[in-house]
Amino acid sequence: MELLGYFLDALTPLNLALALVGVVLGTVIGALPGLSATMAVAVLVPFTFSMDPASGLIALGAIYTGAIYGGAFAAILVNTPGTPSSIATTFDGYPMARRGDGGLAVTLATLASVCGGIVGALALLFLAPPLARVALAFGPPEYFWLAIFGLTLIAALSVGNTLKGLIGACLGLLLSMVGVAVVGGDVRLTGGLPAFLGGIDVVSALIGLYCVPVILDLVATRAAHLKVELDDRGYRLREAFGIAWASKFNVARSSVIGTVVGILPGAGGSIAGLVSYTEARRASTRSANFGKGEPDGVIATEAANNATVGGGFIPTLVLGIPGTPPDAIILGALLVQGIKIGPQLFTSEANIVYTFIYGLLIATILMLPAGLLIGRYAYRSIIAFPKSLLVPTIAFLTVVGSFAINSNVLDVQMMFVLGIVGWVLNRYGFQPSPIVLGLVLGQIAEQGFVQTYLIGNATGNLLGMYFGRPISIGIILAALLSLGYPFYAEWRMKKKPRQPLTEIAMQAESHPVRTDRAPQDGPRTTDRGALIAGAAFVALGAVALANTTGLSPMGSVFPRAISILLILLSAGLMVLSVTGRGVRASPPEAAETSRRRLLLGAVFGLWVFVMPYLGFAVTGLAAFLGMMVIAEHDSTSRLVWLRRVLIALGVVGLFWLLMARVLLLRMPAGLYF
Amino acid sequence: MKIRTLFAATATLAALAAWPVASQSTADFPTKAMTYIIPFDAGGESDISARFQQSVWKKYTGQDVIIQYQPGAGGAQAWSQLNDIAGDGYTIMGINLPHTILQPMEGNVGYTTDDLTPVNYFHYTPNAILVPADSEFKTLQDLIDYAKSNPGMVTFAGSGSKSANNLAQAQFDAAAGTTTTYVPFSGTGPSITAVLGKQTTAGFNYATSAIAQGDALRILAVAAEERMPAFPDVPTFKELGLDLVGGAYRGVAVPASTPEDLRQRISDIVSEINADPDFVKKMEDGGFVLTDFTYDKMPEFIARMKEEYATSAKALGIGQ
Repeated sequence: MELLGYFLDALTPLNLALALVGVVLGTVIGALPGLSATMAVAVLVPFTFSMDPASGLIALGAIYTGAIYGGAFAAILVNTPGTPSSIATTFDGYPMARRGDGGLAVTLATLASVCGGIVGALALLFLAPPLARVALAFGPPEYFWLAIFGLTLIAALSVGNTLKGLIGACLGLLLSMVGVAVVGGDVRLTGGLPAFLGGIDVVSALIGLYCVPVILDLVATRAAHLKVELDDRGYRLREAFGIAWASKFNVARSSVIGTVVGILPGAGGSIAGLVSYTEARRASTRSANFGKGEPDGVIATEAANNATVGGGFIPTLVLGIPGTPPDAIILGALLVQGIKIGPQLFTSEANIVYTFIYGLLIATILMLPAGLLIGRYAYRSIIAFPKSLLVPTIAFLTVVGSFAINSNVLDVQMMFVLGIVGWVLNRYGFQPSPIVLGLVLGQIAEQGFVQTYLIGNATGNLLGMYFGRPISIGIILAALLSLGYPFYAEWRMKKKPRQPLTEIAMQAESHPVRTDRAPQDGPRTTDRGALIAGAAFVALGAVALANTTGLSPMGSVFPRAISILLILLSAGLMVLSVTGRGVRASPPEAAETSRRRLLLGAVFGLWVFVMPYLGFAVTGLAAFLGMMVIAEHDSTSRLVWLRRVLIALGVVGLFWLLMARVLLLRMPAGLYF
Repeated sequence: MKIRTLFAATATLAALAAWPVASQSTADFPTKAMTYIIPFDAGGESDISARFQQSVWKKYTGQDVIIQYQPGAGGAQAWSQLNDIAGDGYTIMGINLPHTILQPMEGNVGYTTDDLTPVNYFHYTPNAILVPADSEFKTLQDLIDYAKSNPGMVTFAGSGSKSANNLAQAQFDAAAGTTTTYVPFSGTGPSITAVLGKQTTAGFNYATSAIAQGDALRILAVAAEERMPAFPDVPTFKELGLDLVGGAYRGVAVPASTPEDLRQRISDIVSEINADPDFVKKMEDGGFVLTDFTYDKMPEFIARMKEEYATSAKALGIGQ
């Protein structure tokens, strides 16, 4: 009955209003790539000092859960994860949007997020103290194997092109090691530049690798960004409910995975999404459709990443150990309020804790109407925007986002460079996702591996540490299963008649995205592109290998292993390309399209490298106008241009205000502003 | 060359713009909100102590302080840019030891220790050895005895390599004559989790971390001068005969172009807050130990710390 009283406390008009405003604000911030949940929560902390603790917590929790959910919009509509938690949402969400199912994908993401969020919050409400033990049971070996499990997804993501997928993963792993190593403290792969000491920021890499190619492709063709059906079918709620109900096991499994991964400090939403995506793909009867616009992929990721919110609060509130970065800030806010965190919190401050948990639950439910409305609006704006506004707006957002992470122009430049490299590699058949997986999971894998080695070596039980612990064995088996299952499924498929496809999956089959590869059985000539790429990667691996000399043994074991692997794989690629096997790059395009692309790339590059000298707003506006002209394929009247210039001024001004005045970022001032 | 000229022009302009402010009487500084840059992510000890300051800042200055974050490279990203900021006193930055001494020793990080201008080191979080509550090691002596008879077998979880925790472990080995294994984790949270989960024998962490854990952890000793108010029953290393005092020191720094009187004024503000009863209680309850290294004591303090870190840095192989 006591719990009911706390529930009523959470229902005060103020708390309800905070939950609603928090969710809306969080969703909008999360939808903008680079503006993360962490940032939103950090900015709002001072406002909660004057509130009563439970209300303050509800506001912060609502923003947090909204931001994790909002990340799905950018993932679905422009192929860019709004937060790292929605990396796996891009795999199927964007293909769905491309073929005209964007509205459905957004609705599905909303339903899945709400379900996942509720499961996480209920776990926090009823099972927090026992579940907190999970965090303690996970030691270095378990983290290592969890990261390896995440990496097995590469095999699935690069079907028919495994070699290039593995090379991409090695690249990502090497990128993750740039900077000062946590274990060993060595300075690695920085080329002697202090700018690289902090490493390559995952979010700016995400934005670059996923979003810059989209921008370059947008400008090249006259075709619309997303396919739009003549009869816009609105929210498609009934259809979405039907799909979600049919996938109820997927929703439940992904929510549980999300909750458990959320409990692990240092794992976070990105891993939760990737792990549940892998599991959903393995368990699905339509696993071949994953990556081509399979709704189950969106459902799995979004259910899991919102479940991490409730899960992450479990170690935060029970153990005083933040499960995720936003939790760390909320923990700090509680300390400033004078609240002692820890095992005693649930009894001594029960009214605050339970009121907060109910508030979080309410906020999660409010996400359904709020998210549907915002998502609908975002979708409509994206399809209604003319290209000459869409291209510069997305480009501007990539710059805003990559800058906002650390208030650092270097991150913007890194985003751009990685984006260009990613686009080129993509043309030669190297997908961005394996690179991203390597980048996201590299640190966790390396730290887990070295820590396990140190402990195992000290206690004289090396093999037992790596392979003898029960949870580790479980994760290893799951990893083997997810690696081997596709082969088994293929074999079974051959024996049995094909399962009938669902309507959505059939559409996926008939509108495959990016399968414009040259036919495999053409004449066997040398694939020059792959040969050059292979040679470049062999050289890169050699440079990385040379860099490991003189490092401490702790700091060198991982980069050495990865660079040797990269050299071997790339050499293999070169051999294959000489014999004319392997997947080929797409044929060169018409001069007109490549001219626009080049021009846009040049403007973009000039922008990010001149920005620190001339200022953010001035260069932003100039680049916006320049890109607007490049992206326009038709001649348009002056009036239209005038209107667009005004819109450009509005967008740049609004974001400058948002960043400098609301989010309190340190803006690059330069000569102007 | 052009860019350089541009830079010079900007710097001159900025200096001119800052001039009237600098010439104003420092008595009524500040007359507008100040900006306080934390060179780390939100949620860490640097952030929390700054947030504690923020909650009483207005009481002592009449103005708000706005906390911004500029994380990267363990703080080096922000510190290397500190001197590019206008020295009008309105932008201050958190500064940490041993970071700002060890990082430049390690290689080119974009700044040197002497480039930075700390005006007040106001607290530190002492290192401490933590074990799970049901650990077989009841006292520090138990642990030392075990470590002596089983060289290398004792594992310490700590935050980062070549960090304050890592230095403390090296100093401990030297002082106690033991050989232990240090296992670096990616932060305080993960390393405390490892200790609680018994992944390692013990933890070399900050005493602050033990506060939240209540009865789940036992502190064997703290590296403070005297016993901490938050843990009256926990002995110091000194009491137990090991000369081990230290942890991570945190302070406030200003750009090098900040005039002397403003440096003094900002140091005074920090000192005034350090005497606020509310602030003191929050800090001490949180396991922070307040210090009083004001601007006038800074040269002596930094020189002493440099010397102290030099020996243990050698043991960790830094700067070779």
